[in-house]
Amino acid sequence: MDKINLKAVEVGAALPELTFGPISRKTLALYAGASGDHNPAHIDIDFAKKAGLPDVFAHGMLSFGVLTRVVTRWAGAGRLREFGARFVSITQVHDLITCKATVIEKFEADGEQRVRLAVVATAQDGRETLSGDAVVALN
Amino acid sequence: MTSAAPSNPRGIFDRSVKGATLEPVPVQIERGVIRFFAQVLGETDPIHFDVEAARAAGHPDLVASSSFFVVIEAAADEERKRRGQPALLDTLKCDFRYLLHGDERYFYEAPIYAGEEVAFSTTIVDFYDKKGGAMELVTCESKVVHPKRGLLVRSQRTLLHRLPEPKG
Repeated sequence: MDKINLKAVEVGAALPELTFGPISRKTLALYAGASGDHNPAHIDIDFAKKAGLPDVFAHGMLSFGVLTRVVTRWAGAGRLREFGARFVSITQVHDLITCKATVIEKFEADGEQRVRLAVVATAQDGRETLSGDAVVALN
Repeated sequence: MTSAAPSNPRGIFDRSVKGATLEPVPVQIERGVIRFFAQVLGETDPIHFDVEAARAAGHPDLVASSSFFVVIEAAADEERKRRGQPALLDTLKCDFRYLLHGDERYFYEAPIYAGEEVAFSTTIVDFYDKKGGAMELVTCESKVVHPKRGLLVRSQRTLLHRLPEPKG
C-alpha cells in the first residue's frame, strides 16, 4: 500500500480511477444490511412506488464509501484526515459508478504535509452523482 | 441557547429540536460487521478483513472502513430504541417518502478498531429552507469517542426533505 511515493505527488495528479457496479438490487440489500441503514426507499419497491418514486434508489453513502476507496487504496486509510461529499444527484439502480480523484492543493497543517484532492463520482451517462474533497497526510 | 429556526408552512421537520443533543450511547465495534461492510464496498486493503494483516500493519485488530461511521450511527440508533429513546431521524420527524441526504463530511482523528466500545452522540445544529420553501434542510454534527483514545471521528451532515406540493 505504501509503495507509491506520496512526497512526489504534485497538484494536478490524477489517482487511478475505480468503477463500481452496475449497482444491483442485491447490492442495495447488502448495503442496507451491512450499514444498518434500512430506509425502505432503497430496498422496498412497494414503498418507493407508494411514495410516487419510479423505483428504489441507491444509498448515497454506498457511493460515498466507494469514493473514499479511490483515496484510501492509494494513500492508505491511516493517512485520511478529512473526506466530504455533496450528493449532487440520485444514484439509480443499474448505474455504473466511476470514481475519480485529483490533487488540487499541497499544504501544511498540524505539522504534516498534506494534499487536498477533488473527488467525484459519475454514472455511465456522465451524470455527476457525488462531488467533494479529501485531505490526505503525506508523511 | 440558539435562536429559533425559521418556520416553513410546508415543512415536515420538527424544528423545535434545534440545538438539541442526543446524549452519547455506547456502541460495540465488531469484527464481523467491519468485514461485512468492507466486503460490500469492495475494499481490497486486508486491514479491513484479515486480522493478521491488520496486526502486521501495526494495528491491534481489524480497522473500520473510512465510512464505517454510518454503521456506528445505525447501531447507536438501535441502542437508543432499546433504551426507549428516540433516534435522530425520529427526533427530526423525518418522512422517508421525501427524505434525501444533502452532504456528509468526516474529520478523522484516529482509527476505529474491532473489539472497542465507543460512544456516539449527535447535535442538531440548524434548520433552513431552499427553493422558496420547496426544500427544507437540517444540519447535524456527530462524534465517535473512545473512552481512552478520545475523539476518533467527527461528522457534519445535511439531510433534506423535497417537500410535496401543498394541497389546493
